Amino acid sequence: MGLNARVAALPGHEITVEEQQPFRVDDLLPSRVVRPADAQDAARGLRLCDLAPTAVVIWGGGTQMRLGAAPRRYEVALSTERMSRLLEYEPADLTCRVEAGMRLRDLQEALLAQGQRLPLEPPHPDRATVGGMLAANANGLGRARYGTVRDWVIGIAVAYPSGKLARAGGKVVKNVAGYDLMKLHIGALGTLGVIAEVNFKVQTRPQVEATLIAHLDTPAAAVDTGTALARQYLAPAAAVVLDQSALKDCGMTADWRWTLALKFEGYAREVEAARDKATSLIRAAGGRVEGDDVPSRFWHAARDWSAPDGDLVVVRAIVPLTAIHAIFGVLPEDSQVMAQPAAGLVDVRVPAAFAASILRRLRTAGGDQGQVIVAAAPAAVKKELDVWGPPPPGFPIMRALKQALDPNGILNPGRFVGGI
Amino acid sequence: MDAATRERLLGRLRAVVGDRYAFADPYEVRLYQYDASPETALPDVVVIPGTAAEVAQVVKICADAEVPITARSAASSLAGGTVPVQRGVVITFARMDRILEIDADNLRAVVEPGVVNLSLSQALRPHGYYYVPDPSSQGACTIGGNVGTNAGGPHTLLYGVTVNHVTGLELALASGELVQVGGRKAGSASGYDLTGLFVGSEGTMGIATKIWVKIQPLPPVQKTLMAVYPDVETASNAVSAIVRSGILPAAIEMMDKLSIQAIEAASHAGYPLDAGAVLLLEVDGIPELVEELGERMAKVCRESGASEVRVAKDEAERQALWKGRKGAFSAMGRLSPDFYVMDGVVPRTKLPETLAKIDAISARTGYKICNVFHAGDGNLHPLVLFDAFKPGQYEAVLRIGDEILKLCADAGGSVTGEHGIGLEKRENIRYIFSDDDLEVMDRIRHVFDPHGLMNPGKVFPGEVVEGSAPSRAPDHAPRRAANVAGGDEIWV
Ligand SMILES: Cc1cc2nc3c(=O)[nH]c(=O)nc-3n(C[C@H](O)[C@H](O)[C@H](O)COP(=O)(O)OP(=O)(O)OC[C@H]3O[C@@H](n4cnc5c(N)ncnc54)[C@H](O)[C@@H]3O)c2cc1C
Repeated sequence: MGLNARVAALPGHEITVEEQQPFRVDDLLPSRVVRPADAQDAARGLRLCDLAPTAVVIWGGGTQMRLGAAPRRYEVALSTERMSRLLEYEPADLTCRVEAGMRLRDLQEALLAQGQRLPLEPPHPDRATVGGMLAANANGLGRARYGTVRDWVIGIAVAYPSGKLARAGGKVVKNVAGYDLMKLHIGALGTLGVIAEVNFKVQTRPQVEATLIAHLDTPAAAVDTGTALARQYLAPAAAVVLDQSALKDCGMTADWRWTLALKFEGYAREVEAARDKATSLIRAAGGRVEGDDVPSRFWHAARDWSAPDGDLVVVRAIVPLTAIHAIFGVLPEDSQVMAQPAAGLVDVRVPAAFAASILRRLRTAGGDQGQVIVAAAPAAVKKELDVWGPPPPGFPIMRALKQALDPNGILNPGRFVGGI
Repeated sequence: MDAATRERLLGRLRAVVGDRYAFADPYEVRLYQYDASPETALPDVVVIPGTAAEVAQVVKICADAEVPITARSAASSLAGGTVPVQRGVVITFARMDRILEIDADNLRAVVEPGVVNLSLSQALRPHGYYYVPDPSSQGACTIGGNVGTNAGGPHTLLYGVTVNHVTGLELALASGELVQVGGRKAGSASGYDLTGLFVGSEGTMGIATKIWVKIQPLPPVQKTLMAVYPDVETASNAVSAIVRSGILPAAIEMMDKLSIQAIEAASHAGYPLDAGAVLLLEVDGIPELVEELGERMAKVCRESGASEVRVAKDEAERQALWKGRKGAFSAMGRLSPDFYVMDGVVPRTKLPETLAKIDAISARTGYKICNVFHAGDGNLHPLVLFDAFKPGQYEAVLRIGDEILKLCADAGGSVTGEHGIGLEKRENIRYIFSDDDLEVMDRIRHVFDPHGLMNPGKVFPGEVVEGSAPSRAPDHAPRRAANVAGGDEIWV
């Protein structure tokens, strides 16, 4: 088949230069964009791309497009924007089924109307889609208490390059039939298929919510208080350690350097008791409770902090709780940091010029049980960095899984771990 | 396998694990033909390795000789997961039963696959922690087996099943390699989530030789309520009402009239004999809160048609209330010599109509069916009562089982909530998955097991079964209610 014939068989339409810009990924621009109407349509489109074969980058809300290495090739942008329906929602069952292009905020609003919610809060829910949240395994500040995306997805429908649409899991909250392919696709960054539909379990909204802002002298004291809270009953819904500049980004100014911000959720009595306990732990660590009042945008800004718009570089360390000190130990003075001690997670915004050296230092400090990745960076900086770090021990299996489901390597080629 | 091949294989395996821990004597291997399901098949050789490295070597030897491998832990599988239908080698973990580490600082424990579920929580208790998933068989089943089936339990309603509590695995792969996936840290951003993918794969992707699990602080207090209803329909509607009320109970269990009769005959737990159904509900937390929630829950129960709500006033009363529930399984022996347990799931709101349909099947076929189950998550365990010595009954009961699973599937549910597909439900899996769905899963299996040696004949439908067929020996009656496990501890 000649080149022209091949291009003609591709789905979607050729786009103008202006249309290309919103679909930029790092330095690359697509020549076509396809917007499937539903899951079956996505599968048909993928099949055509696979026959060509031509490289596809999947687009949800675009909030995590700076995650991952630059794609090796990129011709077709597949956008889930037309797949945005809430397909089923049975409040009494606490379950729902949605199309992958649905915005998180739209989903949360539908749930809120029934007094329910999905306790996942990835950055920028006004733009982030359900599918993007799964693919990027984007989680919020509640991960230590409520778990991550994998703990709330009960079923999935995925379009594969073979042109097939295949499901796994189901609509019930407890189910062990067949392989758990939800886990496979969550965090796979769209390298194995296009997530087309997602089934969630949801929960009743908590009765009350409260915040506590404390100031501590050292990051070690702040981190220790955060992990101590995680190890006891009545753990907070979110515990975040912020340096002065991160605090400012969240709309608060302070004359102290390290802040521990706590969010409590649950039944009224529980929240009250949790707050008392936290207060005494903070005092025991030599800290001071500064108040329970925060600007209304505080928690939203904190949630979005790790996925900034623009050209900032964000490095993320994920380590066992006891290794957080080692991470803080190698951070340069004046680092812009936001950590979630109970989850063993430290996000750092670093100047582009020092990104490589900081990354190296953090990887050494994180040890072999930890992991340090570049969570966001502009294309030029990424070129100089090993975004994912060395491939993990199970990597040959991962490569074989990719080969089994995307044999022509058309999906997000090169963006994932180990060049997958 | 011919005798000479078997001897050669045995020799190689003994060189790895020692003479005592690999055997092929027909008498000795007989024990390993069973699990808690009715199916049986004899293995050629049984191996009891002592370390992960030995497991890997055993797998390598089998892979080189193209011999099937079946992982077997406590063999409490109710789905025939450990029955070696294609014969070959059974690997069992009786010697790999060490708790390697309790790392309270990182909220983790690291265990070998043969660690008994309950003994992990017992070891954690002095530290103020526990391991959440509590299958009713927790006194016997192991963490390795729980990883194999992604086991649940009464208290997984609120806190999640096995996969939600496992953060890492060391695996012996079909290639004979030993690899670690995931580990001690919480999240993973290092490639595909192989840990999550592996949990629940029923031994078809490899063998877990080491497991990192989350541990959780013990709740300060628990409160248990019994609510008495005129019939299962009212009780089922109450379950939805409770869930919608905003209360998050740690457990919601239901027993129907027939189960109550069996339980009362066996253990006199004090359930009213004229009740149509009983709900057992539990909340946990700090004392002040649990008090309040208990009252609120009692109110919802009464408003949703409970004729009586009894609240356990102290730990002794609480234990008494659970005793009946825990003894339910063995109590069936009072009603019938044999029973067949199903594991269907339906959306909570479909409980009333599903239970009515099961009732209709019972009326039509003349077989009594008890319901004792995890009502909070819609996970039904219908127990079909029969007598295996009466010709045709076992076959009839299997057909009833198929019919029940079909109606669960048609209600938008699943054919297994926690016991696994195993051997038993490999055809039933078609009720919920299309050929395309299964084809993708099969591709994934081939990645892990290109030569079809890891627990072959399980999970997937339509496998050609070689060697001994998965049927009962003519002289073997299916398990009796009374001898599945030890009396009061049984808790499905
Ligand atoms: C009375 C009774 C009550 C029960 N109650 C419950 C309940 O409440 N909830 C529930 O979920 N289940 C329940 N079960 C079923 C059973 O206990 C569970 O399936 C349990 O997880 C099996 O554990 P096991 O150690 O016995 O594993 P086995 O039965 O030995 O194996 C189970 C499966 O896992 C595989 N496997 C075993 N070890 C490994 C390993 N190391 N690596 C990989 N795969 C492996 C096996 O090949 C098999 O497919 C009950 C069973 C009985 C008899």
